[in-house]
Amino acid sequence: MPLNINFQQIFLHLFNFVLLFAILYFLLYNPVKQFMSKREEYFKNLDDQAKEKLSDAEKVKAEYDSRLKAVETEINDERAKAHKELDNSLAIRKQQAEDEASKIISDAKATARREKEKMMKEAQGEIADMVATAAEKIISAGNTSDAFDQFLAAAQRGDNNE
Amino acid sequence: MRYSCGLFIVRRCNDFIMDNKKRKISIIVFAVLALAMLVGTIIVKSPGHHGSISVLMRDAVLHEVNKISLFGLIDVNPGLIAAFSVTGIFLVFALIVRIFVIPRFTIVPGKFQIVLETLVGYFDNLAKTNSPHRNKFLGAYVFTAGCYIAVSTLFELFGFQAITTHGESISLPAPLADINAAIMMGCLSYLVIMSGGFAENGFKGILKTLKDFSLPISMSFRIFGALLSGALVTELVYHYMALSYGLPVIVGVLFTLLHALIQAYVLTMLTSMFYGEVSEPAHEHE
Repeated sequence: MPLNINFQQIFLHLFNFVLLFAILYFLLYNPVKQFMSKREEYFKNLDDQAKEKLSDAEKVKAEYDSRLKAVETEINDERAKAHKELDNSLAIRKQQAEDEASKIISDAKATARREKEKMMKEAQGEIADMVATAAEKIISAGNTSDAFDQFLAAAQRGDNNE
Repeated sequence: MRYSCGLFIVRRCNDFIMDNKKRKISIIVFAVLALAMLVGTIIVKSPGHHGSISVLMRDAVLHEVNKISLFGLIDVNPGLIAAFSVTGIFLVFALIVRIFVIPRFTIVPGKFQIVLETLVGYFDNLAKTNSPHRNKFLGAYVFTAGCYIAVSTLFELFGFQAITTHGESISLPAPLADINAAIMMGCLSYLVIMSGGFAENGFKGILKTLKDFSLPISMSFRIFGALLSGALVTELVYHYMALSYGLPVIVGVLFTLLHALIQAYVLTMLTSMFYGEVSEPAHEHE
């Protein structure tokens, strides 16, 4: 054979290499690769967990944002409601005050009317007394026609005063 | 302040004096050792070379003279003994690593763990990038082939001795400097490529591999030529004593290191590329 190629030795070399392949594969390559895969998986899990936590946090954040918005809307609604209630209350109170004022005024008017009537009655009584007194005086003085004229004049004045 | 400055200067001077002393001692020790080696090479007689350099070189290529008995069964080339020795070294190393190192692997790796993981990761990645569809077996194969080529090439640097059938002591060469080992490596790589093609595309894959029929020859003789040339140059340098000082550091060590890395890279890269090419699914290629 050229270059002293020896098939027996080629096969021996092949046997040696196959043996080496088995040794390196089972003792070195596979265990190291398995460890690397495990570590990769470990870090992938960590990454997944971190991503999951991040997404959870984002969800919670979104939830809180929506809650905050809801609370803000609620606050605005409540504020509007409170404003409305306040307006209503003010209107009611105003109405009540107006009613009270009108009642006071009407009461005052009634009281004034009553006072006036009372005063008129008293005045009429006084006038009647005065007329009676005057009539007595005139009668006692004997001048009946004059007295009668005076009485009429006094009665007329009393009507005009009313 | 002045006192501390003075102290600092004194310390620096002392350090400089100590450094100078250490440097002088180192130079003297180195010179004495070099002289001792020189005297030793002159006093101790060389065993002498049988025949001329051309005979030695012819034997390095053809392995006609120096044979080693394999357990008394057959006479084999020294390269085969070197190959078995490399496998033995790997076996011991792998066993130690498997028993004592791998069970202590940590999530945050230590220095040795980084080396192992980088090595495995490199070949695994090489297989995955060149053959994305089918790479589990390829990764293991290129890892073994790469480690074997690199370590077996470096093996010759240690100069392990073996006794030939003539009773002479010879230094074991790199296994792949033996044509039989190189042919085995090239042909096996070709068969691996073919198996990848067959596994993915059936007979079409085999035909695709047969298209590159020159591949086993080119791969075999590339490795053989590269390693043999290294061995011949080293042999040539060591044959003459005048060339044996300083030069072997460059020729012997650096060239061998480069050979080891380059040949390991070339063969694994070629195998991965061709494997990826033939194991590509046919429908995807269309």
